[in-house]
Amino acid sequence: MNAIPGRGGIVLIKFVDATKIYSNGAVGVKNITVSIEKGEFVFIIGPSGSGKSTFLKLIMHEETPTEGEVYVNGYSVHNMPRSEIPYLRRSLGVVFQDFRLLPNKTAYENVAFAMQIVEALPREIRRQVPLALGLVGLSKKAKAYPGQLSGGEQQRVVLARALVNNPAVLIADEPTGNLDPRTSLEIMELLDEINQRGTTVIVATHEKSIVDSMKKRVITLDRGEIISDVKRGQYTNED
Amino acid sequence: MKIRTLRLLTKEGVANVYKNKLMSAASMITITTTLFILGLVLLIIVNVITNLEARKRELQVIFYLKVEATRLEEEEVAMFIENCKASGIIAEYQHESREQAYENARMNLKNESLMEGLTPENFAEGYFVKLSNPNESDQFIAKLKLLSGVNSQWISYPKQELERISGIVHVFNYAAIFVLVVLMIISILLISNTIRLTVYARRKEIEIMKYVGANDWFIRFPFIIEGMVIGLIGALIAYLLTSQAYGWIKDGLNNLFASIRIADLQLMDFGQFAIRILVVNIIFGMTIGVIGSFMSVKKHLNV
Repeated sequence: MNAIPGRGGIVLIKFVDATKIYSNGAVGVKNITVSIEKGEFVFIIGPSGSGKSTFLKLIMHEETPTEGEVYVNGYSVHNMPRSEIPYLRRSLGVVFQDFRLLPNKTAYENVAFAMQIVEALPREIRRQVPLALGLVGLSKKAKAYPGQLSGGEQQRVVLARALVNNPAVLIADEPTGNLDPRTSLEIMELLDEINQRGTTVIVATHEKSIVDSMKKRVITLDRGEIISDVKRGQYTNED
Repeated sequence: MKIRTLRLLTKEGVANVYKNKLMSAASMITITTTLFILGLVLLIIVNVITNLEARKRELQVIFYLKVEATRLEEEEVAMFIENCKASGIIAEYQHESREQAYENARMNLKNESLMEGLTPENFAEGYFVKLSNPNESDQFIAKLKLLSGVNSQWISYPKQELERISGIVHVFNYAAIFVLVVLMIISILLISNTIRLTVYARRKEIEIMKYVGANDWFIRFPFIIEGMVIGLIGALIAYLLTSQAYGWIKDGLNNLFASIRIADLQLMDFGQFAIRILVVNIIFGMTIGVIGSFMSVKKHLNV
């Protein structure tokens, strides 16, 4: 993984004048230039339609920029061959608002799946999966299917899946959007712990209280543009 | 992809057949139905062709030696015919000596006075030959003409009849290929439709796999195994159905033919094509399953 050297630490994600305009003319993001370094915890905030999701989709290569460049973990997203996309995604751990667990696999199997994709040794899988489930506090529910788990538990499984391959970056799109405040805080605490262990964490959210209490870097988007980028920020955008 | 991963994905595909029982059953019924129809149509065509080929083998090459043929020439011809029989060119033959020809002529003629003054020496030796492969009659006749004892003007063969039957066989051969192709296309469409439903129901799953970083083959492979297993099971069921149904049809038609005295029309035993039908079924079933899966997963892979 060739990281791009930045001013301070190692830059893992870099947007250079990136613009995404959808085929229907809607603006996703506009002229965004920003760097995220290794080990950072960053909130992406803004009202719905402000470009948070597009920002994350550009990192995951779910979308490609219509102009400008996006670099992720040393991969240039511009003109990336289709066959390389899986490798980019494997270097990212992704958490979604709607969990996205495979419904006919148990919690254990869902986490193991992420390792099977990278063709890990069965011995490694048997060792790592319980560790990951332990980290998110779900050791006892390893054999449960997603349908038998609560929302918070499902999101923990997703976190375990996202972490099991030790990704450089963890991306979470509204990870607490479907969860009650108490569970939300627990998930955020987990994300913070994961960050403490050295993983870069990027969270898109519009939950004011969480952002305010965490005192992390906050990038605020509005109509596709960055309107503020504060080191120890608060949810400044009033909507 | 590593062997270990292939094994894992194969297991996954097989397990999915059971996990998605309803869709699997739907696909299986489609494959079974098409292969069942295909099997019966092919059996009918094979029967027609077999009966026609049998008819062709009944056609005889009839030839006579020259009246003035010497004993040596007669022996040469007899030797040639025996050799052909031994090497399998001739299926069976009848020989008519001068004496038999004389006797036959005397018996067949109403007016015996015509025979007056004639002895067997005035008649020619004749042969009635059924060839193993009627299509090689030309070569056989060419060889006969090289024998000095044979009267080349007295060689007869119902060439037109042979060509007529051959023409019909051709038509049926093409019909068989046509039916094969049409049914194959229909069943691929049907199967891919059914599998498309399965895949549609599971598109979320495919999407998730893509987001977690699975490459196309990792996602596609279990679906293809699934299609293959469904195709195989469908093929085996179709085989059993075909053998049963054909048994009934054969008995019924053979009784019918016997009762209306078309005794020389006989439907063949299923055992004679059992292996061929089984092989065709398995190859078709699995191909249809694989192509169907491949086509329907394709659409959802672009995430």
